Amino acid sequence: MKNRETAWRIFSNELNASVLEIQATEEKGPSYVVTPLGAKVNRVLIAGTLTEKENVGGEEEAMWKGRIQDVSGNYFISVGRYQQEASRAIASIEVPCFVAATGRVKLYTNPETGKTYITVRPEQIVKIDEGLRDAWLLETAKQTWTRLNNFKAASQDPGLKAEDLVKKGSSPAEAEGIIYALEHNDEVPDSMTYIKTLQAALRVLLPDREIDFGLPEDVASMPDEPEVTESMDIQDGHASKRSYGQLEDIILDMLSELDRDGKGAPRDELERRAEAEGISSIELEEISNILMDKGLVYEPNLRYLKRI
Amino acid sequence: MENEDLTPHIEEIKRVLKDKITDEQIHSELNKYLNEYHVGIEPAKRGIIRKYGGDDTHNFGSASIVKKVAELTGAEQNVDLQVKAVFVDNKTISIRGESKQIISGLIGDETGTVSFTVWDPGSLVLTKGDNYTFRNCYCKTFNDKVQVNVGKRGRIEALIGTEIDVPKRELDLSETVVKINEIRDGMNSITLTAKVVSFEERSITVRGEPRTVYSGILADDTGRIQYSAWKNIDVKEGDTVCIKYAYTKAWRGIPQLNIGDRCEVSRVDSDMEIADVDSSKTIAEMCAIGGGLDISIDATIVDLRTGSGLIKRCPTCNRSILNGTCTLHGAVEGIDDLRMKIVVDDGTGALAAIINKADTEKMAKMPFQEALDLAAAYGNDYVEREIASRVLMKRVRMRGNVVSDDYGPSMIVRSIDELKTDVREEAEALLKEMEAVF
Repeated sequence: MKNRETAWRIFSNELNASVLEIQATEEKGPSYVVTPLGAKVNRVLIAGTLTEKENVGGEEEAMWKGRIQDVSGNYFISVGRYQQEASRAIASIEVPCFVAATGRVKLYTNPETGKTYITVRPEQIVKIDEGLRDAWLLETAKQTWTRLNNFKAASQDPGLKAEDLVKKGSSPAEAEGIIYALEHNDEVPDSMTYIKTLQAALRVLLPDREIDFGLPEDVASMPDEPEVTESMDIQDGHASKRSYGQLEDIILDMLSELDRDGKGAPRDELERRAEAEGISSIELEEISNILMDKGLVYEPNLRYLKRI
Repeated sequence: MENEDLTPHIEEIKRVLKDKITDEQIHSELNKYLNEYHVGIEPAKRGIIRKYGGDDTHNFGSASIVKKVAELTGAEQNVDLQVKAVFVDNKTISIRGESKQIISGLIGDETGTVSFTVWDPGSLVLTKGDNYTFRNCYCKTFNDKVQVNVGKRGRIEALIGTEIDVPKRELDLSETVVKINEIRDGMNSITLTAKVVSFEERSITVRGEPRTVYSGILADDTGRIQYSAWKNIDVKEGDTVCIKYAYTKAWRGIPQLNIGDRCEVSRVDSDMEIADVDSSKTIAEMCAIGGGLDISIDATIVDLRTGSGLIKRCPTCNRSILNGTCTLHGAVEGIDDLRMKIVVDDGTGALAAIINKADTEKMAKMPFQEALDLAAAYGNDYVEREIASRVLMKRVRMRGNVVSDDYGPSMIVRSIDELKTDVREEAEALLKEMEAVF
């Protein structure tokens, strides 16, 4: 039976932390990404705030990149020529707004660094109201809570087989994913990360309740953002014509130039200058993050970026 | 050759050619082959069958083969069996209004048992427990089971001096007591206590024979199931009954309870609590069961398939038509209709459904006339896209019967409504659950 792939409800931090991939075993067969909590995912249903979108393709052949923010981070989406309906839809959505999208999950590994990135390729994307966003938040929280508990229970029982989990009430797909994650994950996922996410979701849904599971208040580590590279089949993006190294140098030069009073370079000016150089705001963001990671720049405050 | 001797051959030709040939034609053809051209009977039969368009000559006409019961495939045209009569039933049936005596029952050898029918027994008497040679039988399949037929050409001879051991029929009388939600396809000897929700008597025609079937819905505290019986089980709506030795069979994935001849149906005094009419399931649960009646599913509309929006239907058969041509009725003036082919997903699985005009108007908030006007102005694709933008990602509650086929589960929708979730209440419940752990 060729059942349609389930659209999993997964918060962005769980999805983006996935490093396991199950490649298609047959031609045109589905491939899967396995999340730290053992969701074996081909398709997701995501919702949140579309905070930015950009056509990195051209007029002729649009290639949209964007971010959808949820309570735990961002989903990185890319809509290409194979997602016609979503491409048509995203073109007319004005940011920021609440959206929901279904899409396929792709895992990409940078061959140089070995780092993995997750993108979602929406098949459908529509504007939704806050009520629907809340309903999604609730549903995703409930399903994450269930996954977390099932995963925890399974991880305390070595030698457990998928059949045993099915007997205990899991669906075959759920059971397979959990076992695969247990067998292949090097690191045991930190359940606190997910509890924090659930806490954040409940705080949105129940704003007048003081919800506190007694967790430290540090922000969950942000996921790595997918780099724009040629191997991701992004055509005609400005960045792909220049290497990241080149772009980093350009930005560093700009920072020195714009830092007139020692406070750093004002973000808005930097963005304008970058734009003039053909570097989009998303690319700029990515490059600044890389430079920050490298310890070459820092943010004295939110509106400035300064070279060290 | 005398006419009398030809009877089995004539029967054989008729069986293959059915109504492609009349008796007179057979007689005249056989006469030509046998008496004018002096061809042997076997080549004559083959020749006649080919001439009149029979396609079944490959295992026809040759000498009979001997088989064991377990080797029967159902395609045998001429087979001999050495068997013990396990069960014999002399009955009168009516064929096209004429009553006819036949013998049917069960025969077996050491490899198994098979049901049989002697269509023209004459003075033949079969005795249960005696051994016989069934000669020149032909086989057919009915409901995937092989049946042995003894036609005019067949003969049955007493078999003396050979002992045949028929394996004890595996009549598993150890009953399994089940609840409705545990019922799956292919269960045997199950015992179910349930309340009769509905009971109806229907007259149907089975191979030209009028028969009465008794059917309806049973319910217990876990769900509902359709049942049917070939004999009057004498129950009425509201009765609580205990049914023993029933078996199940699925129709498009929905398990149904069959009350066969060996079932025992008894009334139970105590009143039984039944599940809410609405039995709420996840899509994963439906995938595991295969199907069910009166299922309620809460999910999100994740896709609108092509073929949604305005369509045309054949005025005669109501099928949807393309380019003004009905596959059955040719070129027709199609009637406009509005529908959605949706896919819903609840995070555990996906399910397809077709939504009718009234519900499409309601869910897409697009009156039929508006759809027609939009299509006239911008084309049908526009209508489809407009509907997509109005219904995608909506959360719905659908009720209906769930069936399964090669493409997974789908629902025959009886009602669909936008799902109003009390987010606060459910969030509070989740919070409580989490607080209990921390």
